[in-house]
Amino acid sequence: MLELRHLSKTYGNGRTVLNDVSWQFKAGEFVAIMGDSGVGKSTLLNLIAGLDTPDASCSADAIMVDGVALASLDDDAATRLRRQRMGFIFQAFHVLPHLTLVQNVALPLLLNGMPTGAASEMLAAVGLGGRDHDFPHQLSGGEMQRVAIARALVHRPALVLADEPTGNLDPDTAHSILELLQREIKSTGACTIMVTHATSAAAMSDKVLHLSKIGIQETTNVKLFDQKTS
Amino acid sequence: MKTRLPPPPGRDWTVISLMLLVLLLIVASFASLPLKWREFFTLDAVRSTLELLAGFAPPELATPFLIKTGWAAVETMAMSALGTLLAVAAALLFSLPASGRMGRTARTAMRAMLNVLRSIPELVWAAILLIAAGLGPFGGTLALAAHTAGVLGRLFADALENAAPLPEQSLRTNGASASAAFFYATLPQTLPQMLSYTLYRWENNIRAAAILGVVGAGGLGQMLKYHLSLFQMQSAATVILAMLLLVAMVDGVSFALRRALTR
Repeated sequence: MLELRHLSKTYGNGRTVLNDVSWQFKAGEFVAIMGDSGVGKSTLLNLIAGLDTPDASCSADAIMVDGVALASLDDDAATRLRRQRMGFIFQAFHVLPHLTLVQNVALPLLLNGMPTGAASEMLAAVGLGGRDHDFPHQLSGGEMQRVAIARALVHRPALVLADEPTGNLDPDTAHSILELLQREIKSTGACTIMVTHATSAAAMSDKVLHLSKIGIQETTNVKLFDQKTS
Repeated sequence: MKTRLPPPPGRDWTVISLMLLVLLLIVASFASLPLKWREFFTLDAVRSTLELLAGFAPPELATPFLIKTGWAAVETMAMSALGTLLAVAAALLFSLPASGRMGRTARTAMRAMLNVLRSIPELVWAAILLIAAGLGPFGGTLALAAHTAGVLGRLFADALENAAPLPEQSLRTNGASASAAFFYATLPQTLPQMLSYTLYRWENNIRAAAILGVVGAGGLGQMLKYHLSLFQMQSAATVILAMLLLVAMVDGVSFALRRALTR
């Protein structure tokens, strides 16, 4: 579904954020990526989303999404790919405050020219049924993240990118949000890549990858990150 | 162990110096202006003022004149409303480049143009446009539109610049085009503020429209000039009362609408 081939990213000030990252992500997988602060986790998500470009020294097929090289797409085509094939969940929710909950969830459907009836069903699926016409300011943090998950999945994307989705939530709420995410991505079959600092969040994924200055590798010892951050 | 309070901050001589400078400017202004306070309050001056004011009472209340004043009020109201509407359309157009969305050069150029538009008072615009458009409310409407477009264009541009960028960025990340992200995320944020500015400028334009009539732009102002020049004080009083009522009505409607917007 998604393949990274020797991906590197260096910023203008000479700081190398990603170095020779290669990995294959399969459809339906729920993968957590962990690593030290500043190692490039969010940069990796931005590159996969086409919001940033890898180093010029990387090959044209450094990022392949369903067999299509991201580097071969112009800005419009990359935007179209994000709109049609990807969903995003952010730490700060990014729910639009002036739209109702159902309008927020319906946005990807509207942008893709799809019928918007599924928005109400999706809200019900995430436990917010009957609250279609409420506004975000009437919700708790956990409820807003449910709306964000509904919006990210409503148009059945093939790839979901989540950047610290539980970063602003208390442990109990975070756990229930991740259970919801697990259930919904299994029902849609989306490949989900979640960047997280929380070992409890990583433990709920199918696979945990460790991103470091030397690349990316699978790890089974998530408790190592607890020791490092304590 | 005794706890000691930290020493007080040093005296800020910048603020004190600025205050002294302002005081000096006030004194110099009064000293340089030939204000003749005593002459203003002499017995003769007070008597003349009272005689003039007495000439306004009672206002002219004959039905044909009231109807004529009513139509002039409608003309003044229409000038202000249409002038504001034209200004809003222009301001929305100008605010996009002025907010920096089309680059730095466009921002600088458009803001300079908006400064020119709003620096020229409505009366001066009217004097210029009445030559081109002829006497009557058309020139007055264009004068109001020109000045107000400059004011609203600048206010709208600032509102767009200060809008929270996160909603628009979020939509762009989700694959929205730049225009879709603007219309779904940024414009809805700024719309209440823009409406509020528009209503406030309409309030101002009612007063301005009344004054523009004095230079031939029609409406209540033109009537007032006509009757004052003929020393028909009672008729002038009726026109002034009509102006007051019109301004009060528009102020009230504008206040109510702005209050509803901020709820």
